[in-house]
Amino acid sequence: MKPMTRAALVITATAALGGTSYRVITRRRRSGAAPAAGRRHVITVNRPLDEIAEVLPEPLNAYHGTIEVQLRAAPADRGTEISARALDDKVSDGDIRRLLRESRSLLEVGDVLQPGGPTTEPTALNSALRGATRHGREGGLL
Amino acid sequence: MKALQWQGVNKLAVGQVPDPEIRNAGDVIVKVNRTVTCGSDLHLLGGYIPFMEKGDVLGHEFVGEVVETGSGVRNHRVGDRVVVSSFIACGHCYYCEQQLFSLCDNGNTNPAITETLWGQAPGGCFGYSHAMGGNPGSHAEYIRVPFADVGAFTVPDAVTDERALFASDSASTGWMGADLGGVKPGDVVAVWGAGAVGQMAARAAVLLGAERVIVIDRYENRLRQAEKFSGAETLNYERTEVEAELRERSGGRGPDVCIEAVGMEAHTPGAQFLYDQVKQQLRLQTDRPAAVRDAIHACRKGGSVFVLGVYAGFVDKFPLGALMNKGLTVRGAQMHGQRYIPMLLDRMASGELVTEHLATHTMPLDDAPTGYRMFKDKEDDCVRAVFLPN
Repeated sequence: MKPMTRAALVITATAALGGTSYRVITRRRRSGAAPAAGRRHVITVNRPLDEIAEVLPEPLNAYHGTIEVQLRAAPADRGTEISARALDDKVSDGDIRRLLRESRSLLEVGDVLQPGGPTTEPTALNSALRGATRHGREGGLL
Repeated sequence: MKALQWQGVNKLAVGQVPDPEIRNAGDVIVKVNRTVTCGSDLHLLGGYIPFMEKGDVLGHEFVGEVVETGSGVRNHRVGDRVVVSSFIACGHCYYCEQQLFSLCDNGNTNPAITETLWGQAPGGCFGYSHAMGGNPGSHAEYIRVPFADVGAFTVPDAVTDERALFASDSASTGWMGADLGGVKPGDVVAVWGAGAVGQMAARAAVLLGAERVIVIDRYENRLRQAEKFSGAETLNYERTEVEAELRERSGGRGPDVCIEAVGMEAHTPGAQFLYDQVKQQLRLQTDRPAAVRDAIHACRKGGSVFVLGVYAGFVDKFPLGALMNKGLTVRGAQMHGQRYIPMLLDRMASGELVTEHLATHTMPLDDAPTGYRMFKDKEDDCVRAVFLPN
């Protein structure tokens, strides 16, 4: 996740859930349970391994040489586990999360859902939230 | 076009927003015929789910007419009258295949927020904050419906808009509570909350063969509706000791299935309410879980509790000891509408399931701020306010 996005999310989460949740989130981060930078990110796609192994989806292909991708059949016929990690400092964890999420959507649905048209306006109060949603597929715990 | 917009905590206004456009091949644009308030909107309105931006369009329960289709849409044509599930689901991911549509992996364009808060992200929802995808809602003249082949359902001619409207969310949610709560013939079922969702849960329990269904609330008009239209017994918690009464009506066992249809702003008599309010206002807990506590305590040993009410975060004084030692099964979910809407429309067509009585107040979209005020304050016995954008 890009630093700005991480900060925006933490601020948003803090505003959302008050002191209790803030403590939970920060404790988890300090204990090392939060994703570490440069780690391997994994997603399960509801498609069989042979189908995915044949042709990787375009978002992953586009990063050929800068990320390492591994495929593994998920247990209990749950599809395929796709894992990826950056080989290049220019590729962030946020980039990889987005690539994996977009790839899953392309493989399962054939399309990536686009956000609805904006009906809102920027204010001082919603700047953190707008920052977080601009990178909605890059953040999180994946 | 005209739309009802969130302008800040407890501030709503009707304004102009851009017309929706097809953005994915699976989209349709629906001209909204009817759209209705929901109790869960009040959590947004009151700032309890603070992922709203000034200008967001509210509304997630609606019926309308298809006016434009994306190139990939197969099941709908322009002119179709459709009711749409409030949750947006792709129909192809693991969760959709399990018919757990509100957990869709591909329906939320902002998974980071809810994944950070809850560990995993559920799907997207119309008009329900940027945590749920920031999708513009249905309190507008038109709405974009993604994955329309999965989430939009043609309304049979025998079902009016007035009735079909509530298949979109209230009836689906209520049915899910009874179904996934495991209601079986002969069961005693208790439902906390006699709003639209609670009434629909009670009706579902009756139709699934429950021996006794008991609805709990403090608003007499809603309790009378539950008796008349759901076929349920009722308890007014301000006049009765609810748990003792439930015990008496279930042979001393407690209800087999307890369905909570209240949510994070629960009211309860006595000191518990004051305690919860203070803790919520001080942000020491995000939700007031009084009805969940009561349901867990009242439920029979080995019984089932289903949480239908919307909760956002953390609660205090959760009766984990009762849950564990009584061997309860506790489940909850946002609604899996795609799983239930076709069946509900059939039941609506046959007359088994009626919903028109829930729409106690119908008005033009221009009056929506007034409608929300009446709905929130229960003015004039308002159960649901329905808006007519066109």
